[in-house]
Amino acid sequence: MPRVITITSGKGGVGKTTTTANLGTALAMSGAKVAVVDADIGLRNLDVVMGLENRIVYDLVDVIEGRCRLRQALIKDKHFPDLCLLPAAQTRDKDAVSSDDMIALTNQLRAEFDYVLVDSPAGIESGFRNAIAGADEVLIVTTPEVSAVRDADRIIGLVEAFEKGHPRLVLNRIKARMVSRGEMMSIEDVLQILAIDLIGVVPDDEAIITSTNRGEVAVLDRSSRAGRAFADIARRLMGEEVPFAALDEQPGFMERFFGIFSRRPHGSER
Amino acid sequence: MGVLDSLFRRRDNSASAAKTRLLKVLVDDRYKLTPDMMAQLKTDLAEVFARYLPSIDPDSIEVTLQRGESNDHLKADIPLRRTPNP
Repeated sequence: MPRVITITSGKGGVGKTTTTANLGTALAMSGAKVAVVDADIGLRNLDVVMGLENRIVYDLVDVIEGRCRLRQALIKDKHFPDLCLLPAAQTRDKDAVSSDDMIALTNQLRAEFDYVLVDSPAGIESGFRNAIAGADEVLIVTTPEVSAVRDADRIIGLVEAFEKGHPRLVLNRIKARMVSRGEMMSIEDVLQILAIDLIGVVPDDEAIITSTNRGEVAVLDRSSRAGRAFADIARRLMGEEVPFAALDEQPGFMERFFGIFSRRPHGSER
Repeated sequence: MGVLDSLFRRRDNSASAAKTRLLKVLVDDRYKLTPDMMAQLKTDLAEVFARYLPSIDPDSIEVTLQRGESNDHLKADIPLRRTPNP
C-alpha cells in the first residue's frame, strides 16, 4: 500500500528539506521505491540538498499544467535508481498549484512508488495546505526552541483540523550537552508541550552542513550521528520497532531523556 | 550541596524559562485567552476563593496550560497563607 507522507513544520529553517532528503534516501536504501516531492514552489531547495540541481529539465508546475508527463519531470537519484525527485518550479509561485492538483499528482505517484515524501513550504498558507492535501500521514519537524515549538503547535492543530490523523514529531538539532546543563528544552519538555507521538530525535551534527555543502545526504555517511538518527526514523516509518536509546549512542542518553532527574552540577563555582 | 545547588539553579535555567513561556503563549494561541483576560481570570478566581478561604493570596495564583493525550487542562495553583490555628 503506497503511502504519501508530508514533512512540515510551520517555522522555516528547522530542517524539513534535510529530513525529507535523508528519509527518502534511507527508505530507498532499504529497497523501497521512493519519490520525494519539493512542494515549496518558488523556493526550490530539495534539489540542491540532494545534489541533483544540474539535472532538472521539467518541474512540478510543468507536470500540473501538462507541459510534460510525470515521468519526464522525475529525476533519478545519483545513488539509488529507485529514488526520484520531483523538483519545485523556481520561477512561479504557490498560486500556480491548487490542492486538487496536488491530490491528483500524489495519486499519480502512488501508482509507481511505495513512498511519496512531500517537502512542505514553511508557513500556514496555501503552500502548506497544498503540501498536506494528498497526504496520508504528516511528520512535523521542530527544534527545541521557543519559536519553532510554538509554530509546531499551531501546525499540529491545523493538521488535525484537516483530518490528516495524528502527526508524528521529528525533534531536530538536539544538543545533548545543553540539555544536560538545563540550557535547552529536553525531549520530554517538548513532548509535554506538544503532546504528540515522537518518531525520532536528531542530534545537532556539523556533518549535516558538510554533507549538504557537497550535495550528499547524511544517511550515506556512517560516521554521522544525525545520519544514523534519520536512518532510525526511516525504519520506524516502515513499522520497525527501533529503541530510542539507539538514537544517541553516547553514554548518559537515558539521563538526558529523563532530564529532570539527571541535573548535575556543571558549574565551576565549587 | 551539589544537589541542592543544582536543584535551585534549575528554576532559573533557560530551558525551564522556555517551557514556562511556551505554555503561557499557547493558552493565547490555542484558546484566545489573552494575557489581559488571564490576569482578569486570576483576579476573579481570587475573589471567589476568598469568599470561602480568607487566607488566599491573590497575587500568587498561577494558572497554567497542561497538555494531555486527548484534552488540554487549565490548572490553577492557589497557594494559601499558612495561618496559626485560632
